[in-house]
Amino acid sequence: MSSTPGGTGAPQDRLKVLSRRAFSFLLDWMAWGYVAYCVMYLLNYYWYTVHVDWWGTLTLPSWGWPVVILSTLELAVWCRSLGRSLGQRAIGVALRPVAGERIRLGRRVLRGFLWHLSVPFAPVWIARGEEPLHDRLTQVGLRTETPDPERPGRRAILTQWGFFSLFLAALTMCVGWLIIGINLQVLIRRAPQAGRIWGEMLRPDFRYFTAPDPVFHLRALSYSILDLTVVTVFMALVATVLGGVMAFPLSFLGARNVMGFSPAGWATYGVIRGFFNVFRSIETIIWASIFAIWVGYGTVLAGILALTIHTIAALGKLYSEQVEGVSPGPLEAVWAAGGSRIQVVRHAVIPQVLPSFWAFTLYRWDINVRMATVIALVGGGGIGDMLFYYKNQGDWSKVGAVVMVIVAVVWAMDYISGRLRERIA
Amino acid sequence: MPTPYLVIDGLTKVYERGQVHALRGLSFSVEKGEFLVVIGLSGSGKSTLLRCINRLIEPTEGKIWLDGTDVARLSAKRMRRVRRRIGMIFQQFNLVDRATTVRNVLTGRLGYMPGWRSLLGLFSSQDKQTALANLERVGLRDKAYARVDELSGGQRQRVGIARALMQKPEILLADEPVSALDPATSHSIMQYLEQMNRQDGVTVIASLHFLSLARRYGTRIIALKDGQLVFDGPPKTIDNAKFKEIYGEDAEEVEVR
Repeated sequence: MSSTPGGTGAPQDRLKVLSRRAFSFLLDWMAWGYVAYCVMYLLNYYWYTVHVDWWGTLTLPSWGWPVVILSTLELAVWCRSLGRSLGQRAIGVALRPVAGERIRLGRRVLRGFLWHLSVPFAPVWIARGEEPLHDRLTQVGLRTETPDPERPGRRAILTQWGFFSLFLAALTMCVGWLIIGINLQVLIRRAPQAGRIWGEMLRPDFRYFTAPDPVFHLRALSYSILDLTVVTVFMALVATVLGGVMAFPLSFLGARNVMGFSPAGWATYGVIRGFFNVFRSIETIIWASIFAIWVGYGTVLAGILALTIHTIAALGKLYSEQVEGVSPGPLEAVWAAGGSRIQVVRHAVIPQVLPSFWAFTLYRWDINVRMATVIALVGGGGIGDMLFYYKNQGDWSKVGAVVMVIVAVVWAMDYISGRLRERIA
Repeated sequence: MPTPYLVIDGLTKVYERGQVHALRGLSFSVEKGEFLVVIGLSGSGKSTLLRCINRLIEPTEGKIWLDGTDVARLSAKRMRRVRRRIGMIFQQFNLVDRATTVRNVLTGRLGYMPGWRSLLGLFSSQDKQTALANLERVGLRDKAYARVDELSGGQRQRVGIARALMQKPEILLADEPVSALDPATSHSIMQYLEQMNRQDGVTVIASLHFLSLARRYGTRIIALKDGQLVFDGPPKTIDNAKFKEIYGEDAEEVEVR
């Protein structure tokens, strides 16, 4: 890239130069902003917890924010002119003289001052393919840094950039530790209480494995552990099958190579991919809490709907990525023989992707079984109902029994689906 | 005078927003029953030319008259009906590796099938008979139910030929059909093409890398350089000077026996 002097390059290239320079500047500014935030957090922490001055306050005055913003801006500017810029390094450029060997300190300082005058017009100059004034007058320019393969340089950690990143990492760790404010001592202090619970859970109560537990009711009916385990596995199965069946046709609509490059193709692709991404980023447990309100708290239907929605989106994305990864040759051959788009999908795409579709679906069933054991927490039904009921009763030996059954089922599912996937692939 | 079977008139193809000119105003014609060989360096536009004829690539400009219709201006739907008459075989064979040989051969029949039958994969028994007969013809009857990824390169290309035969094509486009094969296999594949040309009267347009193969099988040779026609004539008339013009000054001719 780099801003080549003298108006060369197409307009879109110049815009790219402009946006990259702006991006690298923002990066510098944000880095200093981050350091400023960390320092202020540490000061605050000192003030309220070590110094403990409850009478004084440590809030910024009304002119404080502009000062912080301007001072970080100044820091970024001077770093860039003095040649120690994270942002310049990130886009792989450095300040270089137009002629001559190296830039004297005076020229760098001059550039720093000139920047303040010329920055409002800098975008105009760069967009016109010229150097901005502060670069032109000081005879420097941002040039792409190409590493010299003959001189590999020192190990990255020993450079000043290495020290700087170590410092940033240490600062982040310190501030982060204070922010989350955890206390590991409780882990030891309350170990005896936890020990009692562990002890009860490890003596599981399997009396109600097959016989319904009279204490536990769901809508006036009692269930055994096995009853609800079977319900849970089938919830996952139904959700996986429904989700897979719906994701299958949608995945072809969300694949670039099938949809082609017409405006309608782009639109369909965008809508479908957007649907996949949005619905996939909303976790099953959130869907379950929505559907629990919609179709009834603690019903199996709520759980199945939640699992299905998430399965459609997750499988749809995986499927369409597989479709995009098929080798284009067979598609070309079916087109050449006079096939339609549907025939191309049916006879060139599907035979190539079907095995991996099966593998993903099996894996998804596996995930859904695991999800189905916990969605009862928000009213999704399944064995979790029993688990959380016993937990709330403090009946830890029954909790232990339920957890062990869940572990056994999940392990078995994992093993079976793993073996099946091996056979398919 | 009757018009030639295929007339290419001022064919131009520009890729990537005007950056790459693959074909520059190409014009020539092909008579029915010819075995036309297209030669030229990699990137000279051979593949683009063949794919423009059946519109796997949309030409930027120019006319392609196939048997009296301008292929370049047909709608997508009518183009599909024309493509049924144009067989094509590929350098990389373009078969579905996981499917059986006979399945791959049957896909050559898709252009003739109604939508719902092809969606269910219900090929008629007559089509299946034809597929087996075509496999017999290329000597792969015993491999009919083997998966394609079990076959060798030459066998795969023969499956490609059988697939093209399913279309009962009037014209066959062969895009570097032997570039991925060894010399002995190359000759066997070229002989199948020659047989289609002689016995079934299929017009063949094949792009080839080796001049010796072009001389041996072609009834006429055209040469492309930077998307332009630099030679058009019978195989015998390519001499050393012409060869250097097509392939550049440093080229040496390599013989394939």
